[in-house]
Amino acid sequence: MKYTQWLLLAGAVMLIVPLSLRAADMKVIANPSVSASAVSADDLKDVFLENKDSLGGSHVDPVLEKGGPAHEAFLKVLGKSDAALQTYYRSLVFSGKGSMPKALASDAEVAAWVAKTKGAVGYVSGDASAPGTKVLEVK
Amino acid sequence: MKNMLCKGIAAAGFLALASTIGLHAQEFRVFSRTVQVHGFGTQGFVHTGENNWLTMNTSNVGSGEFTDFGANATVPLFDKVRVGAQIYEHNVGQLGKWHPQLDWASADYNFKTWLSFRGGKVKTAMGLYNDTQDMDSLHVFGLLPQSVYPIDMRDATLAHLGGDLYGTIKPEKKLGSFGYTLYGGDRRDSIYGGYPYLLQIHGISMQQYGGPVMGGDLRWNTPVKGFTAGTSYVYEIITGTGQLNPSIALGGPNIVVPYKEWSNNDFMNQYYGTWSSRSGKLRLDSEYRRYWRDQDIFSGQFWVTTDVRSWYVAGSYGINKWLEVGSYYSYFTNNWNCDVPGQIPAPSASSPDRHVYDKAVTARINLKNYWYAKVEGHFMDGYAGFMYPDGFYPQVNPQGLKPNTNGVVVRTGMYF
Repeated sequence: MKYTQWLLLAGAVMLIVPLSLRAADMKVIANPSVSASAVSADDLKDVFLENKDSLGGSHVDPVLEKGGPAHEAFLKVLGKSDAALQTYYRSLVFSGKGSMPKALASDAEVAAWVAKTKGAVGYVSGDASAPGTKVLEVK
Repeated sequence: MKNMLCKGIAAAGFLALASTIGLHAQEFRVFSRTVQVHGFGTQGFVHTGENNWLTMNTSNVGSGEFTDFGANATVPLFDKVRVGAQIYEHNVGQLGKWHPQLDWASADYNFKTWLSFRGGKVKTAMGLYNDTQDMDSLHVFGLLPQSVYPIDMRDATLAHLGGDLYGTIKPEKKLGSFGYTLYGGDRRDSIYGGYPYLLQIHGISMQQYGGPVMGGDLRWNTPVKGFTAGTSYVYEIITGTGQLNPSIALGGPNIVVPYKEWSNNDFMNQYYGTWSSRSGKLRLDSEYRRYWRDQDIFSGQFWVTTDVRSWYVAGSYGINKWLEVGSYYSYFTNNWNCDVPGQIPAPSASSPDRHVYDKAVTARINLKNYWYAKVEGHFMDGYAGFMYPDGFYPQVNPQGLKPNTNGVVVRTGMYF
């Protein structure tokens, strides 16, 4: 195999492996009242950056985790560091252009909140149990 | 005495609020709705080696008359309707003077992603940081570049009483997205701002200043990761009314007569770009602003035109979770003209009374997730004269101004 082909193969591996890890690291969950069963990465980003407040015609409210592997994986979807995300939310809060999303400490707390709260959308680790919620496929 | 009382009440209010809630954002339920309460406060100290700056007595020992704080409450009334309000209080030398302001108070109706409405007293969308210029915790720099975000002229662009139409449009994924804001309303400046303070040297005591404003902001979140570019425009019809003692500026009798000034043509346009790295550690900003004002002053006796051109380039880098560093170059020139006898502008903008060029370096230390401190050095060339507020005022520099000013700003703040 030529040198350039090796480079292309290595590049493809480097691209695919992080993407698959990212998907395995977390899953997006929603309250059953949310009619959508899938969401695009762009729409998901818009929901969590408060540019969009509905999915599939249902009103949605984002819920964050304060830290952990699921949060780290989700930050990659948003394309922001945790500090940048917090600064972004504070800029909305203090300029009157948004509010601070609820942030909970663990997968279990997020899952429980999403299960009981109409319109809630959150994320948990890929292998976390989230009874009473539905998993949204991220397209 | 009254000022001290205001100061005491305001400081006690903030301390009580901060200690009660233990610097954590608060949520409580009212009629099944969740009310969020947030707040912030900062204390600064400024020392300069030469001229006094920003209406403070900063030379010699320095000045700690650099305090601000604010608190807000927001509640989602319905799925698509949110209401809220924020009180803001500041005292920077002769500015603000501990008079609390309603910073914003608005209702927001999110109709569609591409079309929403907010009304009330609304922070004006202009450039990268106009609507967050007072929120020190959001910025690496202790003072934003004063050429574009002057602390003494914050009222001029900060908010309007009226309404915004805004939204985000995504024509095609490969084009990124476009955020827009169109607004109209009325601007009311505090009489404790830099412009009314500057006018006092002419014997003018301004009692009301403001008028209708209309404008828009368009920002393009480009397909290049982390890069946003945009432009803003505002047109204003500004009138100021107050009282004049003609003996001070015009050599007339020592009496007090009504005073009025008004704009004939008054607009501002701004272009900006920002880029942040994927990790968010590195950030580069640049903005250009032009402010043009053609106005009649001294109740129509004279005219004056002001053409302020300003820009900055700024960069910051987060070394780790605790430490961020940054630097900017800020450029301000004022090309003014008028028919007031004896007032002739220097022929070149290279004259120190026509410009301020400020080189700043800063370090921000994040002490806790709610508490930070900043240390910043400023190396300024020029003082830009007294025809328009630019940070240097004759009242606090009675000995005259020197062409260069070096200074240090120390600022600490908390938020919840």
